[in-house]
Amino acid sequence: MTSDTPFDAVIVGAGVAGALIAKQLTGAGLRVLLLEAGPGTSQSFNGYSRHLQQFYGATSKSAESPWPPAAAAPQPDSSDLRNNNGYFVQRGPDLYGSTYTRTWGGSTLHWLGVSLRMLPEDFRMHSRHGVGRDWPLGYNDLAPFYARAEHELGVSADVADQRYHGVSFAEDYDYPMQRVPLSYSDRVLGAAVDGMTVWFDHESFDLKVRSYPAARNSIPRGAYQPVGAVDLHDDGSSNPPLLGGRCQGNTSCTPICPVQAKYNAGKSLAQADRRYLTMLVQAVASKILVDPANGGVQGIEYKRYQDPASTRFTTAVAKGRVYILTAHAVENARLMLASGLTGPRGQVGQTLMDHPALYAWGLAPLAIGAFRGPQSSAGIEDLRGGAFRARHAAFRFDIGNDGWRSTTGAPDSTVSEAVMSQRLFGTALRDQLANLLSRQVRMSLAIEQLPDPANAVTVDPQYLDALGNPRPVISYHIDDYTKAGMVAASGVARALFRRAGVQDFSESGNGSWFPSVYYQGREFHYHGMGHFSGTHAMGDDPQQSVIDPDQRAWQHHNLFLAGSGSFPTMGTSNPTLTLAALALRTADHLVATLQQ
Amino acid sequence: MDSSDITTLEELKSYLYSAMQLEHATLPPYLVALYSIKPGTNLDATQIIRVVAVEEMLHLTFAANLLNAIGGEPDLTVPGFVPNFPTYLPDGEQEFLVHLAPFSRQTIENFLQIERPSLAPSGVNKLVARREHGPFLHLGTHPRQTTMRYYSIGDFYKAIEDGLVYLEGEAQKQGKTIFTGDAGRQITSQYYYSGGGHLHPVTDLATAVTAIRLVIEQGEGQTATIYDSQKELAHYYRFDQLIHGRYYRSGDAIEHPTGEPVSVDWDAAYPVKTDVKLADIPAGSELHQAAAAFNQAYARFLAEITEAYNGKPHKLMEAVAHMFEFRNAMTVLIRNPLPGSNGLYAGPTFEVSPEAAGAPQAGAESLEVVA
Repeated sequence: MTSDTPFDAVIVGAGVAGALIAKQLTGAGLRVLLLEAGPGTSQSFNGYSRHLQQFYGATSKSAESPWPPAAAAPQPDSSDLRNNNGYFVQRGPDLYGSTYTRTWGGSTLHWLGVSLRMLPEDFRMHSRHGVGRDWPLGYNDLAPFYARAEHELGVSADVADQRYHGVSFAEDYDYPMQRVPLSYSDRVLGAAVDGMTVWFDHESFDLKVRSYPAARNSIPRGAYQPVGAVDLHDDGSSNPPLLGGRCQGNTSCTPICPVQAKYNAGKSLAQADRRYLTMLVQAVASKILVDPANGGVQGIEYKRYQDPASTRFTTAVAKGRVYILTAHAVENARLMLASGLTGPRGQVGQTLMDHPALYAWGLAPLAIGAFRGPQSSAGIEDLRGGAFRARHAAFRFDIGNDGWRSTTGAPDSTVSEAVMSQRLFGTALRDQLANLLSRQVRMSLAIEQLPDPANAVTVDPQYLDALGNPRPVISYHIDDYTKAGMVAASGVARALFRRAGVQDFSESGNGSWFPSVYYQGREFHYHGMGHFSGTHAMGDDPQQSVIDPDQRAWQHHNLFLAGSGSFPTMGTSNPTLTLAALALRTADHLVATLQQ
Repeated sequence: MDSSDITTLEELKSYLYSAMQLEHATLPPYLVALYSIKPGTNLDATQIIRVVAVEEMLHLTFAANLLNAIGGEPDLTVPGFVPNFPTYLPDGEQEFLVHLAPFSRQTIENFLQIERPSLAPSGVNKLVARREHGPFLHLGTHPRQTTMRYYSIGDFYKAIEDGLVYLEGEAQKQGKTIFTGDAGRQITSQYYYSGGGHLHPVTDLATAVTAIRLVIEQGEGQTATIYDSQKELAHYYRFDQLIHGRYYRSGDAIEHPTGEPVSVDWDAAYPVKTDVKLADIPAGSELHQAAAAFNQAYARFLAEITEAYNGKPHKLMEAVAHMFEFRNAMTVLIRNPLPGSNGLYAGPTFEVSPEAAGAPQAGAESLEVVA
């Protein structure tokens, strides 16, 4: 090792992909420098507790509310969407509705924890359904890495629930922890809905309310030890997790789990071998320095700031044998483009995807215990695959345990309506609230989106952040394939509510503001799921993709781009488990090559 | 080695029952102090007290596992199991009172006394005569010779360890074992885990001694180093951080923490009346009803735990859910002024009688009626 390259690997971004790779590499004795653009305040238990207090004190309980950005590392915020005046420069025609967090631990600090595997057919959308493109990897290639990822993230589920649409498991395999128990509302809805048949043309599907795999601690299987709260200290010391954090049903997975029962990337970083890990927080990667002769990366320039409220910074260059961008699908693309690296045929930043999602909400005929339990614990997965995907998007339902919180702002809005509009008080007010709030049902209908080069992250020197780094400029539209999926999904939701005796309020106009798209004369209000993907897609063909199946850039032999940006298509599963599996696969590759 | 104080299995069971009583007895004081902290303040103290309380529950469960391992039947619903606070704890030559009191420097100093590492110096008799003879329960009392008590809680646990070794040795000589309990009654880490310490089933002498030593190391006893074998701070030093206003870090000398500062606001706590009793609360008031309801809920919780320790480990999950309810019930009391008490606030009284739970007193079988 020469003095020019004190590190084996420089990783940009302390989110889930970066954390898993850092843990694997340091575990193999490789020296890692980890740069994180945001603050490191979630590293200590007390720091995390202060974020919790921030959430409790916030008037808006948005995903960002506990995680305010540093001035030097701005981030999208859902409250900026309506006026389109946030960190993203949105060129439309449709608004991209999702956000992420730039801080140590990344967006896993406020994710829901849904850890679904992709379906086997999701990897072969082009050959199977004639749309999108195929992955260079198949389900069987990823299956062992899915299993490892489920252990790294600490996923709770029972294999018996998860075999559908061709998803298979090794014979003796089960998840590291038992499934999180179904909520009362899941069981009530399941009793009404299970066995309901849906027809798409000549294809029928039987619906089932099904527990989904969740990265939240529950009852461990065998010798598995659940990972508790993180407590790393600035002086390099760390405490073993003092609180184990079993899911207690606090109903605030998003935006912050108060007991750290839910996985966040800090848990993996706390397990990294600190002898080999150097972490720099408040270090914003600003430019990838490339040897023009051979495309090799020579260093990554970063801007370090001392005060999260200030934009004063100093500039330095990080050097390693390899460089791994794990900064997020948008930030990876933004950093590449800011460095003039546009990839084969300018594909970096293109084919940005999300799961545009609709809400369906209503009042159950009886109290179903809303606002208790994890934010959700079950879904409907049966319409994630099928021949219909040649014509319209697949989708999955997430069944909430949090009443109309995300759709109308309940319980506050329910109180406000009762007091301000209906002038209720005293016993009548209490009765009304008890009656309404306990019956609120919400489903999220998350719709698949296909890769489209016109949906893209770009940069524009006109639009810079406070450090002078270019902000992401986003062009985005939702195509007819996805809109037809919205029609199908909302039809199924309506039928499902009818069958369960749920009074449907989805079209009542009492929902919070969300962006709209129009299709066949109907308006659909959609929201983002935070499932950014596709901005540096992998492939077998160096001309048709940005990275190879190991997530190495085709044009830069020592540069890797990891995360959901690598997905050629995204199916309907939440991307975290798949990106974690890919990160572990890449980490294996890196360990094998760097140890040579 | 001294000859064992414990010479029969029945004596050992009595000691382990006393151990459960002792471990449990620290919970009410810790919980009252914890929930008296005003919301959003004293984050460090909240965390420190909570972690210790969670580990006391681990110790309680270890004691139950030990008792189950030798064929005993843990019962937390026996009248008198919960002390009528204050209660005496041994501290070497002296005894001291443990109070139900709000978070304050004095209360933390009381907790330091509870967790103070001390063993009888060599040459000093580890059994001493009780000096105090008040109406309150004396923890650490010799189960048979009730006028005698142990010099320290560490000595009390050492007596149990010696007893386990002695009795198992005697049994082995006859080709037998004292570990005859049904393994299905052991609480495993499936049902109880936290970051602090790993719960394991007790099935033989090795696992029994490991369990005892973990309990001693984490709190009650003899560690003279600040970190235990699991790299965790012993309870005494956790509380000590609040007095010093600074965290310990590895390499620190005792009484000289050099880590990050701990901010403590001693005034940011509701001034709960110390050792408040139901009789202090005006009869017929909402507050009185709430205090009585809390006591009933607590009695139900103890009944559930008893069921869990008697072959129904899954009941522990339900009991944990009920802990949220009684946390809320406690805060209702702690955050309300007590009429006629010069500005002091109410609090949970922990006057638990089996009748309060509406439960029969006996063992697990009859408790099924409650469930």
